[in-house]
Amino acid sequence: MKKLLATLQATAIGAGLALGGAATVTAKDYMVTASRPNNLYLIDLEARKVVNNCEIPGVFSPAVIVMSPDNTIAYILNDRWENVYGIAVDSCEVVFSAIQSTETVRVKTIASMAISPDGKELYTIQAPVKLLRDRMEVMDTKFVVFDTSAGQNAQPVRSYPAPRRVSVMSSGKDGTVYMAGHDIMAMNPKTGDIEVAIANANWDRPTYGAPDVLAFWPIGTVSREFLLMYTAPKFTDASQQELADFVWGYSRVDLDTGETAIDDFASVEVLMFSAVTHPKNKDLLYGVYSQLSKHDLKNDKLIKRIDLDHTYYCINIATDGSEIYVGGTNADIAVYDSETLDRIATIDIPGGGDMGTATIQVFSR
Amino acid sequence: MKHLKPINRKAEIVERAVEGGQVEEVVAMQTIVAGCSATLDPGWEVDPFGGVAALCQPMEADLYGCSDPCWWPAQVPDTMNTYPDWNAKAESAPRDWRLLDTVFPKDDGTV
Repeated sequence: MKKLLATLQATAIGAGLALGGAATVTAKDYMVTASRPNNLYLIDLEARKVVNNCEIPGVFSPAVIVMSPDNTIAYILNDRWENVYGIAVDSCEVVFSAIQSTETVRVKTIASMAISPDGKELYTIQAPVKLLRDRMEVMDTKFVVFDTSAGQNAQPVRSYPAPRRVSVMSSGKDGTVYMAGHDIMAMNPKTGDIEVAIANANWDRPTYGAPDVLAFWPIGTVSREFLLMYTAPKFTDASQQELADFVWGYSRVDLDTGETAIDDFASVEVLMFSAVTHPKNKDLLYGVYSQLSKHDLKNDKLIKRIDLDHTYYCINIATDGSEIYVGGTNADIAVYDSETLDRIATIDIPGGGDMGTATIQVFSR
Repeated sequence: MKHLKPINRKAEIVERAVEGGQVEEVVAMQTIVAGCSATLDPGWEVDPFGGVAALCQPMEADLYGCSDPCWWPAQVPDTMNTYPDWNAKAESAPRDWRLLDTVFPKDDGTV
């Protein structure tokens, strides 16, 4: 992997003495992920080594992870979709927690978690249900804002009505929060105003059936995209009687510009659970499940596909695009050359606990 | 309601509610709120192509990814409510699957 050189202006203030000076450091790629029984890992991807192993509070699962913008705090959704813990990945200190359920209201967050571009606010979508003596009463879903400096047991500072059936979310550069629901929606987290960014379930495609989207892993930060893949039946005409193809497509939002795109790119030959694009060429898409596939989105061409040694749920990519990482399910991260799809290395999870649905996040610092 | 006639008091109340526009909106509840056993997902055994080749390989790779978030409840105990420790001794499904036991209901009268 290429080393990125960055010159940082280091400033240290302590004991009444202020020091200012330039220091040259080597920025490296790191990964943060998690596994059973309750471990969060910081992995040096260049050294292929787990450099920190932190204890996660609560019950492991689903381990949906988003990183703070400075990549020092991992926010992990745990306790069976209920609570969020913020863990400083270098010290393992639990610096934040949001316990969302109470004795009488059980709250689930179905992977809907994002952080503001300045790192000051954490967003979740809460699906609350009142637990009554003789029945359960479904309450309205809410978009909830937490102050990340609130520490333990943070309480929402504001909330807005939210659509049902939303899973992953991501924040754009201007603060807009993009949500994967039946359509991809864009919300202003300051006002609660919401609009459709990309129509999926309500798309105007008369020759297509309804799309199916699996959106579980909040990845895409390396290529600065909120990208979802869909599968959909495509018919020969609008009567939708004769099936022409069953297609893979993508919906994506550029997190820097807000630009959106939706397009088909292949026939459904294999399943893919998650995908990322190359940070230097967003027309190259890598998708994973029991195979690792490399697609040319511009020309709708499958460039290469290889069988994997076992199924992996989650994919990510080096910040320079040189390597592909696949993880989740069991207890290893497999490393592939993004050009050739040759396997380069394997990083084993200490203790061998399964990663299950854990997110793998990649960043440089 | 043209072709249906209420035959008891409750049905009459329902009919009046419908006529008066007083029926509450029916809202689906996330099944995982109540526990894994409330989830019915019988399609797991067959992949989208009608075979099994596109299921996760091997099945142990999929076990916790599905059962922890209550996606795959029918074949394993409900770890959210009734058997939270069912897999506590088996952190790796491929390695420890022999430790995943069958469970049986217990009450005070059961030894």
